[in-house]
Amino acid sequence: MSMRCLALGALLLALSGLSPVAAHHSVPGQFDVSKPMTLTGTISKVDWINPHIYVHLDVKSDKGTVTTWALATLPTAMMRRSKITKASLTGKPGEMVTVRAVPARDGTRNLGWINKITYADGRYLQLAGQ
Amino acid sequence: MRNPLVARFGTAAAAALLAVACGSATPPAEQSAPATPAAAPGERGSPEQLKALAARPTPHLPDGRPDLNATWDHLGGIEFVRVRQDAPAENESVCVFGCAPPPGQAGARPTGPPPAGPPGPGFPNYKPEFAAKVKDLKDRQVQVDTLLQCAPPGVPRIGPPAKIVQTAREVVFLYDDVNGPFFRTIPTDGRTHRTDLEPSYFGDAIGRYEGDTLIVETRNFNDETWLTDDGAFHTTNLKVVERLQRVGDTILYEAVAEDPDVLAEPYAPRPMTLWVSTEEIAEPARCDDRDLPHMVDGSYHSNPR
Repeated sequence: MSMRCLALGALLLALSGLSPVAAHHSVPGQFDVSKPMTLTGTISKVDWINPHIYVHLDVKSDKGTVTTWALATLPTAMMRRSKITKASLTGKPGEMVTVRAVPARDGTRNLGWINKITYADGRYLQLAGQ
Repeated sequence: MRNPLVARFGTAAAAALLAVACGSATPPAEQSAPATPAAAPGERGSPEQLKALAARPTPHLPDGRPDLNATWDHLGGIEFVRVRQDAPAENESVCVFGCAPPPGQAGARPTGPPPAGPPGPGFPNYKPEFAAKVKDLKDRQVQVDTLLQCAPPGVPRIGPPAKIVQTAREVVFLYDDVNGPFFRTIPTDGRTHRTDLEPSYFGDAIGRYEGDTLIVETRNFNDETWLTDDGAFHTTNLKVVERLQRVGDTILYEAVAEDPDVLAEPYAPRPMTLWVSTEEIAEPARCDDRDLPHMVDGSYHSNPR
């Protein structure tokens, strides 16, 4: 493969939010990377599992009803390598966070892939394409 | 719900670790002092650092065998994720993937691997009559590749071990794989292949030493794993020879897979250089794939170890 192809592949990867190697299959095969969205809520649970960690985000509507999103992200080894722990990913209890994510392509409601989490104090975790 | 495969292999791996750690009928080999790769110059895993580590004296056990006892790193296919040595501060932001370029540098980092493409020169060379089967499996990898379903990767797909424990009679390979904790016990005292085993994911291995190289011959595999991505199936007649040569504080790892029933020639994955790590391995998180039911097309990417 030429360097040009490699560079193009890397660029597409960064732009699309394609997940890395240990994540098994492609993110665009499951999530619509052309439809980024922003969710605000509290993280109620983190499933620290492979091949993808799942973050459960409780989002409250204007009417007060709560919808829980299941948001997939990177495998645990990549988090460990970056010294991100389950606790640091979860944040403080009740902390409001803003999540940029992309939705599932198969129509499953409240399922997405995380691009970025920003916590109440401004710190963020960039986990996929911007 | 706990994956039964992980439960089974996790328990077995724990038992193997316990036997090694607590002492079994086989006395552990005397180990030399651990190396300090962090003191080597250069970025972790960089050619500069590997060259410095390889130039160190090669440690040996009292009986002359190469000392392979260590945790070994090769970045496990996620070398594009920069390793942090220290935990981020409480309010520090972290970019793992899809990062903006550092000031003054063009392009994003870390870039990650290229998307999966057609099988390249590193792909096993199959006999012509199996080309259609390989293509069919490749096209349906998301549906049929058991690796994507948290099953054991098999050999050589799992890659080199994350930790090696030597005793006077055997060597134990330990893996903290994304699919689970796996182990292989490799007799090195002249024992022959076992005849009481059913075919398995990691087969039945025996080993021997040639100079500073451990040679591992494995057979009696099941046919549920692939040699690599893209439909690279094999039969139960698969035989794999791995060579681990200790050079200073590195290991040169090579594997060759032979399956004359379907391959036109032996298949050799790319060789790797491992280096002594100061980080202990840890039990990997449970593998519980929740994504495959939601895949709307067959797209996938490479899954190197």
